[in-house]
This record gives sequence, structure tokens and C-alpha cells, in this order.
Amino acid sequence: MLEDELSVSTRERDGVAIIDLVGDVTTFAEEKINNAYAQVTSKGAKHVLMNFRQNDYINSAGIAILIGVVTEVNRNNQKLAISGLSQHFQKIFRMVGLAQYADIYQDEDEAIQGFATAAA
Amino acid sequence: MELSFPSELGYERVARDAVAAFARRLGFDQERIEDLKTALGEACINAIEHGNGRAPGLRVDISCVCEDGRLMVEILDQGLNRYQQRNVVASIDTKLSGLAPLRGMGLMMIAQLVDEAGFTESQDGRNHFRLALYRNQKTPVAQS
Amino acid sequence: MTNSSSDTEPNERMIELRLPSRLGYEKVAMDTAASLAKRMGFDPERVDALRTAVSEAVTNAIEHGNGRDSTMKVLVMLTARPDELVVSVADQGLTPLDQDRTVMTPRIEDSFQKQDKGGWGIWLIRELMDEVEFTTAPTGGNQIRMVIHLE
Repeated sequence: MLEDELSVSTRERDGVAIIDLVGDVTTFAEEKINNAYAQVTSKGAKHVLMNFRQNDYINSAGIAILIGVVTEVNRNNQKLAISGLSQHFQKIFRMVGLAQYADIYQDEDEAIQGFATAAA
Repeated sequence: MELSFPSELGYERVARDAVAAFARRLGFDQERIEDLKTALGEACINAIEHGNGRAPGLRVDISCVCEDGRLMVEILDQGLNRYQQRNVVASIDTKLSGLAPLRGMGLMMIAQLVDEAGFTESQDGRNHFRLALYRNQKTPVAQS
Repeated sequence: MTNSSSDTEPNERMIELRLPSRLGYEKVAMDTAASLAKRMGFDPERVDALRTAVSEAVTNAIEHGNGRDSTMKVLVMLTARPDELVVSVADQGLTPLDQDRTVMTPRIEDSFQKQDKGGWGIWLIRELMDEVEFTTAPTGGNQIRMVIHLE
């Protein structure tokens, strides 16, 4: 009776494949996130940005899904960045150790900039 | 205050909001409330998935009490599975190398977000998990 | 506080909240109801209407029903059904609700004359919710049962 509150979409900007995640990231997000990641990878994306928006609720199951994406990113020689998280969830992501495997940026512009600088 | 909700994934979101409102009433600042919400969400998921074994028709009970300068939140499931303490919490490196399951980060997150966290003894056959937030500065040593 | 699953229909999910009878705690009830309603898919305006109605009902329970005795409790039961949300607010019944108050419509002109500028709470609940019923709680206190339909 409770609605699924996550919408996932993909787009491209400056050579970066952006996956927008709007809403709760929990165990129910698995298929949507994995599909989006598979989609951008099949198009040959080397730089992937997970752009979070309006997420009040990201739990450990959601983080497990993201770690799964990191596993694939490592395997596929891609580079992953994360943007748009609230201060609270940036803290959580750092606690869990995700910051070692994906650069965490405040917002999308910063992330795009970060990819450009790294590539230069 | 007391709250009881269906033992189904998704309903912990309502519990988070309810307990956050209670903590706000007690004057905790927004950052600590976010910490409490995240810790509580994880504890509820443990209760739903493990303590209640994902069995339909069960419930999770939460009680919040403020005393001695602490906000204490207790999460009770119906004890289908008694919780076994795991001594080692896997790190992200072991998870990425495939040596540990991706789930199970909840307890690690909880411990780092609140001042006290752990299971308490009970005679009623239910798992009792307690979180505590101190009203003054967070103490450097977390007790469980 | 755990109820057996036979207390609710298979298509229903119930959330129960027990609050201290102290002004300010209606905020907890409001946020809880709003949280559930939002996730059931109610429009933001209906969620806001629900918040206000719950606020009025719980405040009423705290001030009148329980006579502001903070050792008493206000019981809020939220029942989610596929096409509606039922919220019932019960106090422990120190002062029975005057049935006349539940039907009269206050007029602002009257308020100018009266000492007590209030009395709008019950009217507001009736205006905002799709169904409202004033009864006696199973435990003997006042109960306000409100229903909001999912469009």
C-alpha cells in the first residue's frame, strides 16, 4: 500500500553519464539502479555520476546496491563519482568507506568539473 | 511515546518520521535527529528482516523515553529469530573483494551514529534493541 | 502494544501511536500521519489538510478529553486501506465531548462577542476530512474517527 518512492533516469553531459536518483534508496531500488548502470555502460560510458536529489532516506540496503555498482565500475575500468547528497548522507557514505572508491561532490557542476580536471 | 507498525519494509519510514518529531520536541538539533533517523531505520529493518524473519502479519514496537538526560529508543520485534551478535563487522574492502555479504552494514552504521546501541536482555522472547542519544555533547566512547 | 494480525483486515495496515497528554506532542501525531499519507500517495494539499485535522483532534484530546493530565495518553490509530486512510484519535475520557460542539458551525461574528475565541477545531476537522465521526473509544474516552479518501 506504500508507494515505491524512487525514480531513476539517465542523461549525458560533457562526456559524463549521469544517473539521477530522486527519492528513497533502499532494497527496492536494486533493479532500477542496476538497469540504469547497465544502460549507460552498454553505451560505453567511462565516467559515471550518481546524482542524488531529494533523498531523505538512504539505508544500508541502498548503500549495498551502490557498493555493488562500485564493484562493477572497478571491473569495467570506469570512474564513478557521487553528487547531491545531503551533509548527513555524505557523512554516512564516508563512514561506510565509499569515498575511497568514488569521489563525493556537493553537486553536479562540481562533479563534472572534477571529471574534467582528472581527465586533463 | 509508543509506536507500533506492521513488520513490512517501507513502514520504517513512518517510524523514522515519528521518532524524529519526538526528538525535535525534546530539543535535539537537526544533525543528531538525522543520525537518529538513520540508526532507527536500520534497527527497524533488522527487526523486520531478521528478528521477525520477514514473516507476514507481525509487528514492530518502538518505545521512546526521555530520562536522566538521555533519549532512549527501544525497538522490539516478535522474536521469531533470536539475534546472534556478530563480532566482526565486515569493512567495505572485504565486501568489494567478495569476501563478505553486501548486507549487514546496519549495525556498524548504528554504532557510529548514536551514543549507545545494543541488544538488551529480555524474558519475553522478543529481541529488544536499544538506542540512546545523550542530551549534551555526544560522548567519545560508544557503549553497547 | 502488539495486536494480533486478526485485528485488521488483510488489506489493511495499522499504525498505532501513544502520546503523552501534553501540548506540543500533537506535532508528533501530525508528522506521523503526514508521513504515512505521503507514502500512500495523497496529494500535498490533502496531506496538509490531514495534518491540520490531526492537530486539532489531538489538541482537543489533550486539552479537553484528558484534562491536560500529562500522565494520561492520547491514542492515535492510523489504518491504511487501498483507497483511504482512517485516523482515529482517542483520549482517556475525563471530560466527555459535548455533542453539540460536534455539529455546530461557529461564526466569526459570534467570536467577536464571546470570551472564548476558539471552537473552530471541530469545525475545521469536519471541513477538511471526507468523513468524520464522534464516538466513544473502546477504552471509554472520546474518539474522533476521520477518513480521507485516496483519489
